[in-house]
Amino acid sequence: MLDFLKSTVGRKYIMGITGLVWLGFVLTHMAGNMLILVSGDLYNAYGHAIVSNKPLLYVAESVLILSLCAHIFTAITLTIQNRKSRQSRYAITPNGSKGSSLASRTMAIQGSIVLAFIILHLITFKYGAEYTTNVNGVEMRDLHKLVLEVFKQPVYVAWYFVSLILLMFHLSHGAHSIFQSFGILERKMQKSLKKFAWIYAVIVVGGFLSQPLYVFLIHN
Amino acid sequence: MTTNKLDSKIPSGDIDSKWTNHKFNMKLVNPANKRKHTVIVVGTGLAGASAAAAMGEMGYKVKSFCVHESPRRAHSVAAQGGINAAKNYQNDGDSVQRLFYDTVKGGDFRAREANVHRLAEVSVNIIDQAVAQGVPLAREYGGLLSNRSFGGSQVSRTFYARGQTGQQLLLGAYSGMMRQADAGTVDLYTRREMLDLVVIDGKARGIIVRNLLTGELESHVADAVILASGGYSNVFYLSTNAMACAVTATWRAHKKGAFFANPCYTQIHPTCIPVHGDNQSKLTLMSESLRNDGRLWVSSKKGDKRPSAEIPDSERDYFLERIYPSFGNLAPRDVASRQAKFRVDEGFGANGGETAVFLDFRDSIQRLGEDKIAERYGNLFQMYDKITGENPYKQPMRIFPAPHYTMGGLWVDYNLESTIPGLFVAGEANFSDHGANRLGASALMQGLADGYFVLPYTIGNYFAGTKLEKIETTHDAFKSATNDVKTDIDKMMNTKGSRTVESMHKELGRIMWDKCGMSRTKEGLTEAISKIQKLREEFQNNITIPGDANSVNTELEKAGRIADFIELGELMCRDALVREESCGGHFREEHQDNGEAKRDDEKFCHVAAWEWNGNAKTAQTRHTEDLKFDNVKLATRSYK
Amino acid sequence: MENKKNLNLTLKIWRQKNNQSKGEFKTYDAPNVSPDASFLEMVDVINESLVVKGEETIAFDHDCREGICGSCGFMIDGNAHGPQKGTTVCQLHMRNFSDGQTVTLEPWRAEAFPIIKDLMVDRSAFDRIIKAGGYISANTGGAPDANAVPIPKYDADEAFLSAACIGCGACVASCKNASAALFTSAKITHLALLPQGAVEKDQRALDMVAQMDSEQFGACTSTGTCSASCPKEISLINIAKMNREYLRASWTKKEAVHGGDMA
Repeated sequence: MLDFLKSTVGRKYIMGITGLVWLGFVLTHMAGNMLILVSGDLYNAYGHAIVSNKPLLYVAESVLILSLCAHIFTAITLTIQNRKSRQSRYAITPNGSKGSSLASRTMAIQGSIVLAFIILHLITFKYGAEYTTNVNGVEMRDLHKLVLEVFKQPVYVAWYFVSLILLMFHLSHGAHSIFQSFGILERKMQKSLKKFAWIYAVIVVGGFLSQPLYVFLIHN
Repeated sequence: MTTNKLDSKIPSGDIDSKWTNHKFNMKLVNPANKRKHTVIVVGTGLAGASAAAAMGEMGYKVKSFCVHESPRRAHSVAAQGGINAAKNYQNDGDSVQRLFYDTVKGGDFRAREANVHRLAEVSVNIIDQAVAQGVPLAREYGGLLSNRSFGGSQVSRTFYARGQTGQQLLLGAYSGMMRQADAGTVDLYTRREMLDLVVIDGKARGIIVRNLLTGELESHVADAVILASGGYSNVFYLSTNAMACAVTATWRAHKKGAFFANPCYTQIHPTCIPVHGDNQSKLTLMSESLRNDGRLWVSSKKGDKRPSAEIPDSERDYFLERIYPSFGNLAPRDVASRQAKFRVDEGFGANGGETAVFLDFRDSIQRLGEDKIAERYGNLFQMYDKITGENPYKQPMRIFPAPHYTMGGLWVDYNLESTIPGLFVAGEANFSDHGANRLGASALMQGLADGYFVLPYTIGNYFAGTKLEKIETTHDAFKSATNDVKTDIDKMMNTKGSRTVESMHKELGRIMWDKCGMSRTKEGLTEAISKIQKLREEFQNNITIPGDANSVNTELEKAGRIADFIELGELMCRDALVREESCGGHFREEHQDNGEAKRDDEKFCHVAAWEWNGNAKTAQTRHTEDLKFDNVKLATRSYK
Repeated sequence: MENKKNLNLTLKIWRQKNNQSKGEFKTYDAPNVSPDASFLEMVDVINESLVVKGEETIAFDHDCREGICGSCGFMIDGNAHGPQKGTTVCQLHMRNFSDGQTVTLEPWRAEAFPIIKDLMVDRSAFDRIIKAGGYISANTGGAPDANAVPIPKYDADEAFLSAACIGCGACVASCKNASAALFTSAKITHLALLPQGAVEKDQRALDMVAQMDSEQFGACTSTGTCSASCPKEISLINIAKMNREYLRASWTKKEAVHGGDMA
């Protein structure tokens, strides 16, 4: 099994499985957060429900962190190997039908920026100001207030937009590539698969972006 | 001068038991002794790769050489149409006997009966072997193998893999050889060109090769040498052969004593894309399989400049169907080529007299639909479109004959052994099975037959019956051969004249095509010989090669090959001159019956094998081997 | 009939004496090129003019010039085998270029394909991958009748498409990671699809992937340039199939058994 994990093919499986965990996470994260468009209380109650179930929370958090670490570590080893395999560049980059998409070529850069975003994101929200509120008699953290504060800052919203657009590219290529890495790509799927991956990425990122946009435009 | 030095060693007995009996009568080498024998195989096409694989499997030590960077690039890879086998899967009356008969007749009764029969016998094993190796031959919906028809036969016995049969069969043989490389029985020597054969005590004991990357001359010792180095169509400069196809390996062996047989038997393939201009480097074949559904025609008016679509059926001359009603467009290659040439010579060429005739799919597209035609020939149509910029679904292809295959080659006996003991010759490099004309889909068959099913037995017999001293590369014969090669190379490098070798090759090709091509005359051949002699002089004194001999130097590689082509060209003309008859691809205008080849069985029912006499200025000696036809009646070949 | 006007081109060609030396671009004029000529025939003409001047010719691999041997191949303006899809350089014709164009020629660049000279590279790594297991162990003679095992036409056709690979190296050259996944997977897929090859498919997948990884190729990151550049348009589904084969083979790997109960 060690041979498998060391091989380029095996490492693609690791990238795929850990990526899949996060593909699922960002989708549910986005869907839950959409509650902000409904009401502040509902949003806070949702957040409270999640942090209340400690065992589940810790399991979920460990899976996410482990996946992220494995994803990053494997990505670094692959990137190093890939760079070593092609040390000199061509004088001209192709742009015609024989070229590749920008998204697929720049996964490492996107990934690094998205990682920075995740860290900043955790600092801002998870470990950010602890306001409290009371919803239906239950004392809980007022995340809604924090979110409104943060999303009223144009600089933060701009950074958020840039990072999430990069995330969209990262997700679209990942969601597409996973089928090939896992070996479940079939001839008849090839055409619709790219579309599927893009629809997924646009829904996730569109959902996320609707939140600061809503706050920035409506609450300002 | 005609002498009799040639013993064909044809086994006695009935034609259909000769090979079986011979296999039993041949001596064997025991498994422990096999690994003590080294065999050199020059060339990694179908014949070479299959021989290396089969002999490696048996336990011999095999050293395999090729000029390419990888054995998989040998020119067998380019064969398009298919491979014949007497499987009778189509239940249309095929049999070993019929394949044997068709091939002897197709060769215009100038091949050795016993060899052809053996070829027909093992043809069925080849298909089995290829399928077992994973060669993806075309199949029907029921999962069984599919067949198509080829020229010169009235049954469907041709197996194929779209238009890439050669590629798939070669990759099969290559994989078999690579498996042996993995097992350690085959050592690969790529980017090596054989420049001399080393003969010790009258036996072939090794070769001198030039490492094409470093220029180093290497000596390799063996107990037997197999030449599977292909044919010499590139003597015409423009041919369907690959750029590196050369006569060098066989020619250098010829100079060391191997007789060269029937050099004038060359095959001009009828359906090739016509020449587009002066800088053209090679010609591209359009598979014979196209004649299953395409019809050849010219306008019945001379110099007709109307677009092909505007010429009504009543004014089209479907000349093969007209002249050969029973075989129609599937007449054999020599016959079809000649008729196309006649039409063009008479002024009926396509588009008002171009050097081309039409190959038209209009009717089969109407009958079967474009999809069906695309399924059968899609890749060929695409290739035609890429090269010419014309869409063959919409307008007929323009095609013209081009040099494609050479039936002549080193003389071999029934065991495929040349006149030098221990030197075996396989595939297109030998002369043996196709007589004066090869039928379509027979070259792949012969290459694999020789490599998989003949040589592994006959070489064992040679080892078991021959005392072979242990030889080192330090032997004087290796030293002097290396010195000779080095002297040759230095001389070419130091000539520093004014002509490029490419231009000399073009000039030679022009002479050969005009005078020793599709039709030949006494005057033309005589003139060609003197022109070639002058060309040889000029080559010796006036070529220029840039760079040095100690690294990659493609001009130097070409120069060596062209020097050999020049000498061969002269011999081809001599052979054609002496053969005062027309047979198969050899057409002497003086000997014809209204455009049909007229054989002279009284005087020429024999193989002509030429012996080198020390230098290019001394004419070679012509030896003959009489051909006997006990099983197929000698008759005028008719496809009418 | 299309435009038959001859072209005048400027070529920037990578010249490198050998693997040790440093290469550089040199500029050559290609005047009066026939649109019917092939790309290599245009380079031939330049080479002829170099010989006349006593200069070394531009070295490049080429042989069949029919798009099947896989010898030729270099980058033309950053495109493997040039701009036309499904085409090798030797089958690329000058009618695809326009008058006055500057065209840049570079060798395949990959650590696994060391440059030998100019546009010529060493692709023997491919042979070593095949040698590691790209075959079916069927000794000569003794094969059963070719029709003994029927093979569904769909599988035979799919196997053929994978087997159509010519080993030119365009996939590696065009890949930003110089990955050989497409080449390796095409052979694994071809043989795994056929019943004859199925017996050894696990070991084959393990051995060929191990050999691929031991050469200096990178990993596949699914950019798809390999398939887009492939002159035989080998599909990415081959890579998926290889991954699946490799996963299964790793999972179900059996230890060799020596001796036996009766020993």
